[in-house]
Amino acid sequence: MSKRIVKFRVNGEEVELAVEPHWTLLEALREELDLTGTKEGCSEGVCGSCTVLVDGAPVRACLTLALEVEGREILTVEGLGGPDGLDPLQRAFIERGAVQCGFCTSGMLMAAKGLLLENPNPSQEDIKRALAGNICRCTGYIKIIEAVEEAASLSPTPIHESR
Amino acid sequence: MPEYSYIGKRMPRIDSLAKVTGAAKYTADLKFPRMLVGKVLRSPLPHARILNIDASRALRLPGVKAVVTGKDTYGEKWGVFRYTQDQMFLPLDKVRYFGEEVAAVAATDEDTALEALELIKVDYEELPAVFDPMEAIAPGAPLIHDDFPQNINIHVHIEVGDVEGGFAKSYLVREDTFTAAEESYFQGEPYAVVARFDLDGNLEIWMPNAGPHMKAKPLSNALRIPLHKVHVRKIAIGGAFGGRSEISPADFICALLARKTGRPVKIVYTREENTVCTRQGHSMIATIKTGVDKTGRVLARDVTCYMDGGAYSSTGPIATSVPFLCMEQAYKMDSVRYNGYRIYTNKPIRGMIRVHGRAFACGVDTQLDMIAEELGMDPVEIRLVNAREAGEYTPTRSYVASCAMKETILKAAEKARWKEKWGKLPKWRGIGIGCNSVQTGFPMGIRGGSQAIIKFNEDGGATVISGVVDNGQGNDNMLVQIAAEELGLRPEDIQLVTADTEVTPLDPGAYSQVSTFIGGQAVRLAAQDARKKLFQIAARALEAHPDDLVARDRMIFVKGVPHKGLPIQKVIRMGLSQGISVAGEGSYWPKVDPKREWVQNPYGQMCEAFSFGTTIAEVEVDPETGKVKVLEVVAAQDVGFALNPLVLEGQFQGAVAMGGQGGMLTEYHFWDGGRVMNPTQLEYKVPLAIDMPRIHTIIVESVDPKGPYGAKEAGMSIAMSAAQAYSAAICNAIGVYLKDYPLTPEKILKAIREKEEAGEKTHQ
Amino acid sequence: MRLPRFDYLEPHTLEEALEMRSEAGEKGEVLAGGTDLLVRMKQRLKKPSFLITLKHLRELEGVKMEEGELAIGAKTSLRDVIRSPWVQRYANGLAEALSSVGAYTIQHVRGTIGGNLCQDTRCLYYNQSAFWRSGRAPCHKAGGKICYAREGSDRCRSTNQSDGATALLALDARVTLRSLRGERTIPVSDLFTMKGEAPLDIRSDEILTTIRIPIASQSAASAYERISYRSAIDFPVACAAVLIEAEDKTIRRARIAVGAMGNAPLLMIQAAELLQGKPLEDEGAWKRAARIAMDHASAFAVNNVGATVEWRVSMVEVLVRRALRRACEAARGIGEGP
Repeated sequence: MSKRIVKFRVNGEEVELAVEPHWTLLEALREELDLTGTKEGCSEGVCGSCTVLVDGAPVRACLTLALEVEGREILTVEGLGGPDGLDPLQRAFIERGAVQCGFCTSGMLMAAKGLLLENPNPSQEDIKRALAGNICRCTGYIKIIEAVEEAASLSPTPIHESR
Repeated sequence: MPEYSYIGKRMPRIDSLAKVTGAAKYTADLKFPRMLVGKVLRSPLPHARILNIDASRALRLPGVKAVVTGKDTYGEKWGVFRYTQDQMFLPLDKVRYFGEEVAAVAATDEDTALEALELIKVDYEELPAVFDPMEAIAPGAPLIHDDFPQNINIHVHIEVGDVEGGFAKSYLVREDTFTAAEESYFQGEPYAVVARFDLDGNLEIWMPNAGPHMKAKPLSNALRIPLHKVHVRKIAIGGAFGGRSEISPADFICALLARKTGRPVKIVYTREENTVCTRQGHSMIATIKTGVDKTGRVLARDVTCYMDGGAYSSTGPIATSVPFLCMEQAYKMDSVRYNGYRIYTNKPIRGMIRVHGRAFACGVDTQLDMIAEELGMDPVEIRLVNAREAGEYTPTRSYVASCAMKETILKAAEKARWKEKWGKLPKWRGIGIGCNSVQTGFPMGIRGGSQAIIKFNEDGGATVISGVVDNGQGNDNMLVQIAAEELGLRPEDIQLVTADTEVTPLDPGAYSQVSTFIGGQAVRLAAQDARKKLFQIAARALEAHPDDLVARDRMIFVKGVPHKGLPIQKVIRMGLSQGISVAGEGSYWPKVDPKREWVQNPYGQMCEAFSFGTTIAEVEVDPETGKVKVLEVVAAQDVGFALNPLVLEGQFQGAVAMGGQGGMLTEYHFWDGGRVMNPTQLEYKVPLAIDMPRIHTIIVESVDPKGPYGAKEAGMSIAMSAAQAYSAAICNAIGVYLKDYPLTPEKILKAIREKEEAGEKTHQ
Repeated sequence: MRLPRFDYLEPHTLEEALEMRSEAGEKGEVLAGGTDLLVRMKQRLKKPSFLITLKHLRELEGVKMEEGELAIGAKTSLRDVIRSPWVQRYANGLAEALSSVGAYTIQHVRGTIGGNLCQDTRCLYYNQSAFWRSGRAPCHKAGGKICYAREGSDRCRSTNQSDGATALLALDARVTLRSLRGERTIPVSDLFTMKGEAPLDIRSDEILTTIRIPIASQSAASAYERISYRSAIDFPVACAAVLIEAEDKTIRRARIAVGAMGNAPLLMIQAAELLQGKPLEDEGAWKRAARIAMDHASAFAVNNVGATVEWRVSMVEVLVRRALRRACEAARGIGEGP
């Protein structure tokens, strides 16, 4: 099976990969780009550990072919924050105790990031609904929701728009 | 109460940064040069003799580097205990459950490995299978293990006091049977193993584990290599919840493939494999007979439990005992009898799990509620009457040094506004209470203690070397907090070398709830030892007595005279220039009865401390659908001492989610013969953020005399009492006592309708 | 879990796509959002040699008003359909149905309305990994001759669990299918074959392009109800959609669709006829219609979606009744109308 070239941007950097059609974006990120922060928890789109942002919107990397993101802007957990430090979400997750085993954390962060990019002032209901597709087995979600609330209150406007 | 710098403080965990940046490496994230992909071929039959395995076509596929089968093993059976050795990691004789390992391949990439699996031809002779435990012990049932007649894997028998006499004296006796289907861990991280050998025959192996030393010894035995050549490495772990403690066939198989190919091998389980091919919880039938006096005090209790253990023993003796032990710790009882049967079936293997026996725990508490109703008491009252107190012995003769069970009951009841609500809630709203206790430790023989070593670095920092493992509950942070506190350093000055069997001393692991109590205590003692030696050096320089010195915030100074001090860094260098290298060593071994054994002698001091907890839940049931909306939960636990309230709150909340929200409302496995019909999170309904209620957490501190700073286990008890509270609240809301768990909408609606029909009948 | 290998075809126009579709025939599948298809491929339920991606076909996106009907491009994302003010005004039941699909982070951005409408049927004895299904004969839907969900069944009993399909049936939607041979627009009810093995009448050279929803009279309202164990992620185990067209505070016409029962969403004609001419606030009529719908649905339900048949069937009555209440209240201008 011959590989095809796909060009896209990941965390602000231009990337060009030779991929086989059946490779998912998740596999390309983890195995070709060594960005292992995005996780495989179920491979069927249910658990949310593989959530990344494509053009600012949350998708399941495990159910997205690498070839499907040609020309798009991908944001993974490794792309959160900047040279000056952590994204308010990351800081809030740490300070609020929202991280236990950490396996769901990157997916949660990306789902929350997607929410805040669109809705910088979410209600608690908005947050619960935005995170409804991300499964955590350790925390019971309470501190994760509190962390997103705190991050939202600290950053009145989205940090960067990626479209 | 002493003034601590870090102990008792809400401190963000040190491992959080790596996790929020994606830098933390879990087993599946590891990548080594020339690494091969391993895949396991599994049995598509629940019970069958293996006649022949032909891997020739697979071996000819380009990219396939090795295939292993039972023929590559030493043909030995393994077991957690000597008397439960029943499992070959790659069986030679027969397969006993759908999904059991039969062969494995290592190939250059995943597609090739998967293709190779399809080229391995296995000839089976299918055997009759049995899936129901009661059918499995009936005469004529197919025998799953030749050495275990009637398919009875474990029988735990405990008898204390005068049970029949107790019943005879009782004012009221009830017998009820409670049942629960099996549940599963669904850790965030699917199981994975990476293994590689070096040229000297040392094995390096990574996998999510609840005790690296518990993995190393059986690996050494199974591979027949010396223990010191097995290095189980530290890795970020995505949850355990009572699983991932003993060696797994995948560990062994991955090491075999690595040895055979001479290359690193990685095996990553699918979610389905993690559910079917590691461990699950036991399903259970619990018949509970309880006799009480007029005050509701339990005079005698007799419990018989049948547990579906699946195809192999795993930690059978422990899993069969723990539900009983939790009960006997939580409640007073002078006379009690327990018969616990763990039965083999041709189903996936069951093990210890955080909510140990829903049917048992919820059964005991539901029955207490039923008794209370008959006596005209309320559920809180009857629990206060029976609650364990400090200074008592459990029926199996463990002394309980610290216990604030009553305080947890009273505080939870107050926060939940029990008195305002009990019996006064509007129709379809209910409130319920659950109480439980968890042991801080199991009898572990020569692996029951932990040792820690602390070395100083020239720059004034320290490195803590400990076998304690972090599954996500915060154990790494706990060690740093303790070391920083005792050494007078800041948390950022502490480096950890942990959970690596090449370097770290023995430790019992996390699955018996002892990481803080034993592992943390060892680190504390090692730090105190190191500090003492530093003080000797500093005392001379400061012309003071070592006993008058204090270490705090990177300084050693005379108590009350902060300017008469020296930076720790300087003291270390002073020591070095005097030819004194300072290191500390400490170990902690709980004083338990060495003769106590799960089956042979289940009596004597089991561990040194027990945690106690109470959960109260308030729910609203939709009488048209049977669905439950959980309004509010109050979780109170006696943790001895809260080393880090921020971490504890997270543990309580997670426990409510797992034991209550999931464990009592939606989580169970259903079957098509030996096939789990819901192996993934789509159809196995773990709880979601959108369904979580308000949770109030109450930390109660009884300050245990043995625990470090008074701390005991804190991560498990609430999972059990939450299940009990949810169950009680639902029963209260609908006015029916339900006995089959979990309480799905179907069951709740059925009960509501049956009650209505019965009510209509009585009015006719 | 690994996808099987396939050839990836990348048309840039609808014409190109139709050519590729025609050439690939039975060996090809259309890739829209992929959140249903790719899971089935990982499970080896589907093994297409060709995937024809719609990723460049922007012409298949968008919600338009055309000649008294809503014309929704089949490739419009669930999110965009839900947020469309026209959909919210004229087809609220559809917005509610699509909002309840899975979870925002799973399907709402990449998932499409066409994909949801054409979601293949499901059964817990079928929607499992290749390994799970090995060791015994394949079932009807997998090309075999046995049904594991209902013993002795000579045909497939898989269940349609599409929220969108149920709502669109109630809304009397039509769908346009195009191929190189031409174009056909059919009522959505004709899309369903009632055969679990191949539940949709979409020819192997066709692509669904447009979903058309007639805009009913002045006082029309629609509503959707569904039930599952959890409030997100889960497929519905019972669902109902209703459309109420009112005139002078009386029900002039009603449509009731029940889903997650049987191979296709069911149109409850008798239950709907009962409502004709009834005043909008006639609660008794809702109850009677709901009960008839439940009785009819009970013949179709099979125990293959993880909840008991008994419960799912009794939920049909509850869901139809609740949907009728909300739609009638909306039509009266009370409650959460559009």
